[in-house]
Amino acid sequence: MKAIEVSHLIKKFGSLTALNDISFSVGEGETFGFLGPNGAGKTTTIRILTGVSRPTSGTATIFGHDVEHDTIAARQSVGIVSENSNVYDDLTAWQNLMFSAELYHVGRKEREEKATELLKKFELYDRSNDKVHGFSKGMKRRLTLAMGMVNSPRLIFLDEPTSGLDVQSNLIIREVVSDLVRAGVTVFLTTHNIEEANVMCDRVAIINKGNIVAIDAPESLKKTIQSVQSIEVAFDRNSTDHLDELSHLPMVNDVRKAGDKFKIFTEFPSEVIDVLVAYAHLHNLKILSITTLGPSLEDVFVRLTGLQRAGDGIHAID
Amino acid sequence: MSGAWAIAKKDMRIYYLKPNIIVSGIMFPLFMFLSFAIGKNAPPGTLIPGLIAITLMFSASSIEPVSIPIERRVKTFERLLSAPISLYSLVSGESLSGFLYSLGIACLPLAIGVIVFHTPIVHALILAISMIFTAFCFATLGTLFAAYPTENVGEVMSMLNTVRLPLIFISGVFIPLSAMPVIGQMIALISPLTYGNDMIEYAYTGKSLFSPLLDIMMLIIFILIFQVTANYLYKKFNE
Repeated sequence: MKAIEVSHLIKKFGSLTALNDISFSVGEGETFGFLGPNGAGKTTTIRILTGVSRPTSGTATIFGHDVEHDTIAARQSVGIVSENSNVYDDLTAWQNLMFSAELYHVGRKEREEKATELLKKFELYDRSNDKVHGFSKGMKRRLTLAMGMVNSPRLIFLDEPTSGLDVQSNLIIREVVSDLVRAGVTVFLTTHNIEEANVMCDRVAIINKGNIVAIDAPESLKKTIQSVQSIEVAFDRNSTDHLDELSHLPMVNDVRKAGDKFKIFTEFPSEVIDVLVAYAHLHNLKILSITTLGPSLEDVFVRLTGLQRAGDGIHAID
Repeated sequence: MSGAWAIAKKDMRIYYLKPNIIVSGIMFPLFMFLSFAIGKNAPPGTLIPGLIAITLMFSASSIEPVSIPIERRVKTFERLLSAPISLYSLVSGESLSGFLYSLGIACLPLAIGVIVFHTPIVHALILAISMIFTAFCFATLGTLFAAYPTENVGEVMSMLNTVRLPLIFISGVFIPLSAMPVIGQMIALISPLTYGNDMIEYAYTGKSLFSPLLDIMMLIIFILIFQVTANYLYKKFNE
């Protein structure tokens, strides 16, 4: 049985079509990434899958339960970790977990055991009886994740689980998610961190303007745009003056400055290496390092969503 | 109903001692009452039934208009909406916390009546039943108003007060219905406070405008209307 099955889902808000006939499925035990720019339809999809919002047409099922007509059964085996750390600041960490477990009808003994286990796992056990308003952002995020796991879900929705976190919280959360995957839990991951999706996901779907534009394993998606290969080169003098000159070299499609290096996009990496060596010689530059790179998942994302890069970030084209 | 009870317990822990709930649920009815009671020739003890009625109304309807907009703002309301509980349980749980809060608060004027003014209670059981139904009715009204999709507590409170404040004057709390003009008496029939107050008055004096059975039936009808409308609005505004 599929963990998630979405068929011809359409969601309209007045004249705006937020989801335009999307279909996909997620197998049990799979880690599935759901990527897209802001406003692409990610949150709308999650709200429908969790039964908070109703589709205009189409169907969605969770472990065979229709999210619209069999909502409670569909939600019962699901854990939800929303983008906001939506914990109760005026309750203690323990009370937050107990409340969450009660909402999911977890028995008293089981919920107490599970809460203890999770607080230890997320390194919050020492703060169990402290009110949450004194917690750091990372601690609140860890507690949010613990609350999403208190019912031992078979499927967990993770919305930006590590966004903006300190290193400790980031490492703990990634470790716990890896444990979930090893335990056979299906993970539906929404993230802006494309590298995170690349590393963690079995498959990713890229949604843009309410349409799913690609859905496949990260490596398979990268193969579809082999033309977006690149060379990372570091000179001993990395002045930005080189940007313009490098972009005018033959067979170079685009150049970006990435930290102390230049990232040069080309369809002919081996030929461009020769050109770069000649360029360095001509300008009396010393090449400190040079690496050829295949297309990244981010390159696929940029290509398929029509976004453009600006500096080190990705920005939507207005 | 375990989900509803979990929500009610959560509200009790978080909101019962919030300053704006204390002001709206306790201070507001008390000062409102004093402003009308002072200067009246009636013995203070005879005003206890009215004080209980408006305390029930204000305190029962004060929890959700505060808690739900706050929870919308901090996104914890989304947690309730996506939990494996029915919308009916969610709405009931929210109402339950207002109901229990109100019963607890209404015990204050009740105790003052008994201990300070020695106000006799003719039908104790009817008093208990009237308090339960009145409290639940206004708790459901509070939940209904909190369905308005805002993150601003003030917005919900303003709307609610435009309904609650006139109810005091048209429900026979301070001005007996028999002393009101016919049009006033007609309007009083559409106020749930009329029936709650009437039943509490009966419990204290043995006299009332309607029979206690009719009062209960009318309160049940109001509860059903508020509950069904609240369910509909929560569903509609989540889209």
